[in-house]
Amino acid sequence: MPSISNALQTTIGRKILTGITGVFLTLFLVAHLAGNLTLFSPDPDAFNLYAHFLHELGPLLWIAEIILVVLFLAHAYIGISIYRRRKQSRPENYNYYNSKGGPSKQNAASKTMIFTGIIILLFVILHVMHFKYHLFSPETYMTTINGEEMVDLTRHVETAFHNIWIVLGYTAVMVLIGFHLKHGVWSAFVSLGASNPKRLPVIYTVGGIVAVLLSVGFLFIPIYIYLRHLFGG
Amino acid sequence: MSNENMTIHLKVWRQKGPETKGFFEDHTMDDVNPHMSFLEMLDLLNEQLMEQRKEPIEFDHDCREGICGSCNLVINGMAHGPELRTAACQLHMRKFSDGDTITIEPWRARAFPMIKDLVVDRSAFDRIMAAGGYVSVKTGNAPDANAIPIPKHEADLAMDYATCIGCGACVASCPNSSASLFTGAKISQLAHLPQGAPERKKRAVAMVNQMEKEGFGDCSNFQECEAACPVGISITAIAEMRKEYMKAVLS
Amino acid sequence: MEVPKNYKPFKWDSHIPPGPLKEKWSSHKNNIKLVNPNNKRKHNVIVVGTGLAGASAAASLAELGYNVKAFCIQDSARRAHSIAAQGGINAAKNYQNDGDSVWRLFYDTIKGGDYRAREANVYRLAEVSNNIIDQCVAQGVPFAREYGGTLANRSFGGAQLSRTFYARGQTGQQLLLGAYSSLSQAIQSGKVQMYAREEMMDLVVIDGKAKGIITRNLVNGKIKRHAADAVLLCTGGYGNVYYLSTNAKNSNVTAAWRCHKRGALFANPNFTQIHPTCIPVSGEYQSKLTLMSESLRNDGRVWVPKAKGDKRHPNEIPEEERDYYLERIYPSFGNLVPRDVASRNAKNVCDEGRGVGESGLAVYLDFRDAIKRDGQSTIAEKYGNLFEMYEKITGENPYEVPMRIFPAVHYTMGGLWVDYNLMSNVPGLFVLGEANFSDHGANRLGASALMQGLADGYFVIPYTLGNYIAGDNPEKVDESHEAFDKAEKEVVDEVNKLLNVKGEKTILAYHRELGKIMWDKVGMARDEAGLKEAISQISALRKEYWENVFVPGESATYNKYLEYAFRVADFLELGELMARDALERRESCGGHFREESQTPEGEAKRDDENYAKVFAWEYTGPEKPQELHVEDLVFENVKLTQRSYK
Repeated sequence: MPSISNALQTTIGRKILTGITGVFLTLFLVAHLAGNLTLFSPDPDAFNLYAHFLHELGPLLWIAEIILVVLFLAHAYIGISIYRRRKQSRPENYNYYNSKGGPSKQNAASKTMIFTGIIILLFVILHVMHFKYHLFSPETYMTTINGEEMVDLTRHVETAFHNIWIVLGYTAVMVLIGFHLKHGVWSAFVSLGASNPKRLPVIYTVGGIVAVLLSVGFLFIPIYIYLRHLFGG
Repeated sequence: MSNENMTIHLKVWRQKGPETKGFFEDHTMDDVNPHMSFLEMLDLLNEQLMEQRKEPIEFDHDCREGICGSCNLVINGMAHGPELRTAACQLHMRKFSDGDTITIEPWRARAFPMIKDLVVDRSAFDRIMAAGGYVSVKTGNAPDANAIPIPKHEADLAMDYATCIGCGACVASCPNSSASLFTGAKISQLAHLPQGAPERKKRAVAMVNQMEKEGFGDCSNFQECEAACPVGISITAIAEMRKEYMKAVLS
Repeated sequence: MEVPKNYKPFKWDSHIPPGPLKEKWSSHKNNIKLVNPNNKRKHNVIVVGTGLAGASAAASLAELGYNVKAFCIQDSARRAHSIAAQGGINAAKNYQNDGDSVWRLFYDTIKGGDYRAREANVYRLAEVSNNIIDQCVAQGVPFAREYGGTLANRSFGGAQLSRTFYARGQTGQQLLLGAYSSLSQAIQSGKVQMYAREEMMDLVVIDGKAKGIITRNLVNGKIKRHAADAVLLCTGGYGNVYYLSTNAKNSNVTAAWRCHKRGALFANPNFTQIHPTCIPVSGEYQSKLTLMSESLRNDGRVWVPKAKGDKRHPNEIPEEERDYYLERIYPSFGNLVPRDVASRNAKNVCDEGRGVGESGLAVYLDFRDAIKRDGQSTIAEKYGNLFEMYEKITGENPYEVPMRIFPAVHYTMGGLWVDYNLMSNVPGLFVLGEANFSDHGANRLGASALMQGLADGYFVIPYTLGNYIAGDNPEKVDESHEAFDKAEKEVVDEVNKLLNVKGEKTILAYHRELGKIMWDKVGMARDEAGLKEAISQISALRKEYWENVFVPGESATYNKYLEYAFRVADFLELGELMARDALERRESCGGHFREESQTPEGEAKRDDENYAKVFAWEYTGPEKPQELHVEDLVFENVKLTQRSYK
């Protein structure tokens, strides 16, 4: 029997790792979106308090962040190596290639996983630099809530999303994340062993719904903030 | 249905051997009967080429009834052509229209080296099978056939996976050139039968390892293989293979 | 009819063991010589062909310890033509409690073969049939099952019992994949060396014994020598001599024919099975015929219009204007009469001008009543894949329009002569499966071909080969022996000769012409004048072939048309022998129907007194007629009766 680490390097192991990391990253997105939606809470301080709470976790947050980074990098690394093996496995490509349709899941979403994945990777780096390290804003806004001083992340967000270019950029990336999830959620289920033929179409539909909900959920925020700014909310 | 002969334009891949560069050769045939099979159309083209003292196009074929798995043509960019659940030999010209241009290419994958024109070497599949696609039972050693009852739905499921004809369309159509459907089908067939149980773990590991060694790509769950499979084997075979493999590794 | 009397006494021994029929095989096994397990590994065995017979033999012999070299012309052992068998495999398990037994299976098989097979061989076949099912189930062959988990059976053309085991409409595929998987395991363990895309071109005979073969690699054209202590020929049938048949395109007689030319007797070459349920020919371009499993006759009803030339759509022809001719002529068997009877009756109604379809060469196989009775879903469950296949090929939906079917060449009962041990008259050359002549007489029953292939490979040859090797203690020969030099040179010369004809006509044109002569004159009905014509026409065609055929390309590359050229050259010799065999057999029996020998009702009339015999032909030299030898068939256990399915 191969060792577990050898097994995880096979095409099967890699796909299972992609699936597992993908599932956790998707769960992270769900949590992230839930946090973001506190922006629309009746309590105007909710979002800042939530951010502050996370920040105050200290070492626990670091651990969570490290795990997240590892999951993310592993997911990206395997994705890229699958792509590279694809090139090696067919050195001379077809001159004409078409999907046969029917049950095939080849579509704009599945065929672009590597590109949407790379764009998401770049986006995440920018996104963290932007909101965590405030690299693109001249100063760090502070606020005091209940006597405690903390970063005014709400203001950072609002400021950023008053800029049409940032809004458009975010929107575009959220659409791509939706694409990535449309194939990714389905693929994770199948990679992790969904083997009932009758349930496969259901899984694919569920994947699509998850993709749309997360994508729309995320892109709703910048668009809403921008429009509120434009029409003076 | 029209019985009028059709004119068909062909772009056929020609390649002298693995070392030489291939190219598309154009042919126009104006006497294609719609009731011909696709391979009969190629037979006719070859007859015409030989009458002009030209070298015929090499392609693999044998039973011509969709069961031997010899034929391997990528027609208009699709393994076995546009019809679902149909091998190239069962594809008929009535599925095309007068004046159509049809491209024909060989299976393309590193694990299927080129031999000539449209003929490739699929012996990698035989090696995957030899690695573990069997139940070790010596001749004469078998108990009575009814000694082990097998629930009908399990036997039916095993049969669904067992119908694989080993043509390689799954590899040819897969954007990653993965052989997961082929390998998974055999692993899943034997996983559903009590006869396969004693060697279950060994089999999954050995067949997967051989598949890796042959240089096939990863499976990205495109399900294109199922669409291209002339017998419509479900990609659940791949999910089952992954489970079988991981169970073997983790136990 | 005039009966030739000048047969010479048969000089070969069929080695039928003495004793009562039921004990022959077991007593033979007890008396057989054994090879010491340590010595088995010193013996090399060549297996040519990897169908049911070849794959099962190679795997079983490797398990016993022999060094096996297996050869196939396909790119993988799994593609041998056994894979295309649809309907099922017979066994005398009596799981259905309907009174089946080894005796009944034996009796049905020998009667079905119109009493032109050896009792002892057929009885052994029936005897080991049960072991085959056990073996295949143990290999993981997913036979159809009942809800309770036990194996399901169905009845099959010609049998009044449900003794046929099946795996949907793909039984041959599943059995072959089972045998192939055992072969694969043996390859992995190193006991079998597999040579795919390698064609046997000649048999090497040294001091009268088979000692090896010459092969041609189909990818690079290399000619190779392989020495061995025994050669097993498992190369299938030669139905493609008719050009159009249900055989795979690459099925051929070449290996068997080369053995014949090296001294092996060719027995009953004319015995050909014409299968009644095939999809009719649609045009000149047709390259092969597709069989629709005969299991369809369990539910489908065969009919033609009562009136000649009735061109109405079948669904518009009212019940009273339909002639369900099989049910009418054979009330007790109806649509389930044996294949030869069903085929000949289809020919008769078409000859009367009542055939249907554009060509008038087809009859209807109608599921209307079965669908009405059982519902479409039941019919779809039983025959779905066959209906789908029919629709793919014809473009018509058989749930709505009756299928059109017509007989087509399907199987050849004739083949190389073998004794009870499956050894030909050339010591060391064994012939298994369809390639031999031994078990099916003049007509094969449905679901018996798979049974015979596997019986020979799994359960007969492992014993009888040992008997030869232990008894004969074959002398080792080297591949540098001058017999190998000579045989190799002959093959090389032949390759060059074919490539250098550079004539005007394609190989396919010759094959088609040969096929037409065979079908018209050596087909479903034969007469003296036609057979004589066929002999002279084939002989002329063969002469022309070697002067005017065009073989493209070169020998050192993949060249399918060069392979084909050899095969057609051999068919052109075989065809003539078939016609001569049919001419000499002045009786009707099984698939061989001589117009001159029929009952007043037009049924086949046997002549047991003069023809309860095997015709075995000996090669005497190039362009010389073969010499006929005759083996008497002795029936001690069954009473010869005229078959009646009325």
